[in-house]
Amino acid sequence: MERRIVIHDGEMPHRITVDDNRTVIVDGTSVPVIGGPDSEVRIGENGTVRAWVAASGDTRWVYLGGRVYELEVERAGRRRRSASGPSSLSAPMPATVIRVEVSPGEQVQRGDTLVILEAMKMELPIRAAADGTVASVSCKPGDLVQPGMALIEIE
Amino acid sequence: MTFRRVLIANRGEIAVRIARACREAGIESVAIYSDADRDAPHVRAADRAIRVGPAPSSQSYLSVPAILEAARATSCDAVHPGYGFLSENAAFASACDDAGLTFIGPPAAVISRMGSKVGARQLMSGAGVPVVPGDTPHDQSDSGVLQSAERAGFPVLVKASAGGGGKGMRAIRDRGQALEAIAAARREAVSAFNDGTLYVERLIERPRHIEVQIFADAHGNVVHLFERECSIQRRHQKIIEESPSPALTAGVRSAMTEAAVAAARAAGYVNAGTIEFLLDESGDGSRFYFLEMNTRLQVEHPVTEAVTGVDLVQAQFVVAAGGRLPWTQASLTQRGHAIECRVYAEDPAAGFLPQAGALLVYREPAGPGIRIDSGVVEGGAVPVHYDPLLAKLTASAESRDAAIARARAALEMFPILGIRTNVPFLIRVLDESDFRAGRLHTGFIDEHAPDLLARSTAPLEALAAAAVAPGETPRTSASVRPTTIDPWTSVRGWGR
Repeated sequence: MERRIVIHDGEMPHRITVDDNRTVIVDGTSVPVIGGPDSEVRIGENGTVRAWVAASGDTRWVYLGGRVYELEVERAGRRRRSASGPSSLSAPMPATVIRVEVSPGEQVQRGDTLVILEAMKMELPIRAAADGTVASVSCKPGDLVQPGMALIEIE
Repeated sequence: MTFRRVLIANRGEIAVRIARACREAGIESVAIYSDADRDAPHVRAADRAIRVGPAPSSQSYLSVPAILEAARATSCDAVHPGYGFLSENAAFASACDDAGLTFIGPPAAVISRMGSKVGARQLMSGAGVPVVPGDTPHDQSDSGVLQSAERAGFPVLVKASAGGGGKGMRAIRDRGQALEAIAAARREAVSAFNDGTLYVERLIERPRHIEVQIFADAHGNVVHLFERECSIQRRHQKIIEESPSPALTAGVRSAMTEAAVAAARAAGYVNAGTIEFLLDESGDGSRFYFLEMNTRLQVEHPVTEAVTGVDLVQAQFVVAAGGRLPWTQASLTQRGHAIECRVYAEDPAAGFLPQAGALLVYREPAGPGIRIDSGVVEGGAVPVHYDPLLAKLTASAESRDAAIARARAALEMFPILGIRTNVPFLIRVLDESDFRAGRLHTGFIDEHAPDLLARSTAPLEALAAAAVAPGETPRTSASVRPTTIDPWTSVRGWGR
C-alpha cells in the first residue's frame, strides 16, 4: 500500500511517497531506504548512508552525517503551527519566575527585560520582541511555569 | 588502609565513574538519588542506593543533613563528592569530619581558603604566582561594585567571590550595562552559592584558558599532571578540553606547572586539585595569570587520565585514606593527545538554553581510543532540575590531528534524538579551520557563531529516513510533544 505524506523542513514542504518495498520518493526523486526496527536506517543504493530516526507526535527526528533534523509531518485537517506573534511571551521551558519587571498598561520597547526566569540555576531574561503596551501579566515571582504558558501579553 | 564503603554524593556521569572506581578498588559503593533519579543509571551503577529527598537539588543532592543521614544509615566510612553540588562546600567537608566520615578531597580549611576568590588571589600573589590585575570592592553595593569596575577600567569581569562554573559571572564592556549586570551577577551568586559577594577584575581579551592538574598527599608530596587547554567555552563553561595545549612551548609549560605546584604548596593542598590560568598571548611572548583553584576532581579529568595513563579517582582513594601519592613527578609523562567533548542537552541556536525531555534514541559510539563517561540511557529522561550534561566523549590518539579525527568520527556515530543536544555543534567546532590550527581563545565560540550556528537544510536522505520512522502512526492529540524548546515559536532575544 502506497502512503503519501508531506514533511516540512522549517517552512519548506516536501512531498513524499513511501511504497511497500520502502522505496521512498522525495519530491519526485527515488531514494532507496532500508529501515530497521531499532531506529537505524540505511539509505542509498548500497545502504551506505546511515541515519537514525525517532518519532514524537508530528515531529520526526533524524540524525544523519553529524546533523540533527527536526522535521514535521503534516496532518490532514490540522493547521500547521505558525510562528507565534510578538504579542504573547511564553515560557520556553519549565522554570521559576524570579522577577516581573513590568505591570499592565506600561509602555515597553523592543529588548526591554519583562520577566526573569530561572531554570537549571541560570537566569533567563525574557525580553520584549517589539515595542508595545503590556496588556496583561499572568505570572508572579515564585510561580513555576511550564513551556508554552503565556507570561505577558503585549499589544 | 583503604575504605570499606563509600557514599557517592552526586549523580549522573561522575557518580557512575566513581562507582566503577570503587568496584575496581574492592570498595562497596552507595549511590544517593532524588525522586527524579529513582531509575537513573548512577543508581544502578552502585552496589546499593538510598533516597535522599525530592527532585529539587536543594532538598536532595545539596542537603547536607540528608546526605549525612544516608551515609550513617548505610554505614559508609567515606564520602566522594564528585564535582559540583557539595564538592567545594567547606561546611559539608567539615560536617563529614565531625560525623566520622572521610571526605575524599582536600581538608575543609583548604576548601574555604581557596573558595574565596579574593583570599585565593592574595595567597597566590604572596606565593609569587602571577594574578590578573584586579580590584576588590570593599563597598559591595551596586554603586560600590560599579566604582571598582571603573577603577579597573572597562571591559571588566564581575564574578561571584564564592563562585565557579560561570555562575554569577558577567562581562561588562561599558558603564551603560553595568548596573543590570551587577545586580544579575549578585542574584545568581546568592541563588547558586548563598553568598552575593562580588569581585571585579580586568577582562583580558582573547585569553586562553589553560589549567594544570595537581595532586598532593598528606606527607608533603606535590606533583603536577600537566595541563589541559579548556578555551572552547560557552556561557563561561567549557565544552571541549584537550591535552597537551597546542599553545604551550616547553618553557611556558615548565613555568606554568612549577607555578601550579607552588600554588598547591602555598594552599596546603591535599588530594586532587586544579590550578586554572589565563594565558595572554598578546604582546611579547605569552604570560599566564592565576585565575582560580578548583578544590575537587574536574569534569575534564579523563583528558589527563588519557595522556598520563593514571587513574585520578583511584589515587584520590589512596590519598584520602592517608597513603602516599602513587607517583613521583619523574614517573609522570604526557603521551599522545586527548580531546574531551562534553555532550549537553541544550540548544545552541537558542543561546545554549538547557533542554529537558525524553531520550528517544541514545546510542553511544565505541572504538579504540574512545572513552564515554555518561549518566543517561536510551528511553530515559533528562530532568529539568540538574545540570544538563549527558555524556563526555574523550578521544585519544598519537597526535592532535588524529585525536580530532577520532572524536569527530565518534560524534557522527553518537545519535541522540528526542531532545536537542550540542552534538552537531561540537562537530562544527572540530571542523573549524581555526580549531584545527589550534588558534583557540575563550571567545572562540562567539567569534565563529555564524558558522557554527548556520541552519542546514535537510537533504533528501534525511527526508526519506523521516518517512520511514518507526512509530509512524496517527496520533489523536498533539499534546504528546516532548518538552523541548522550539525556536520557531519561542521568544526571541534570550539574554546571555
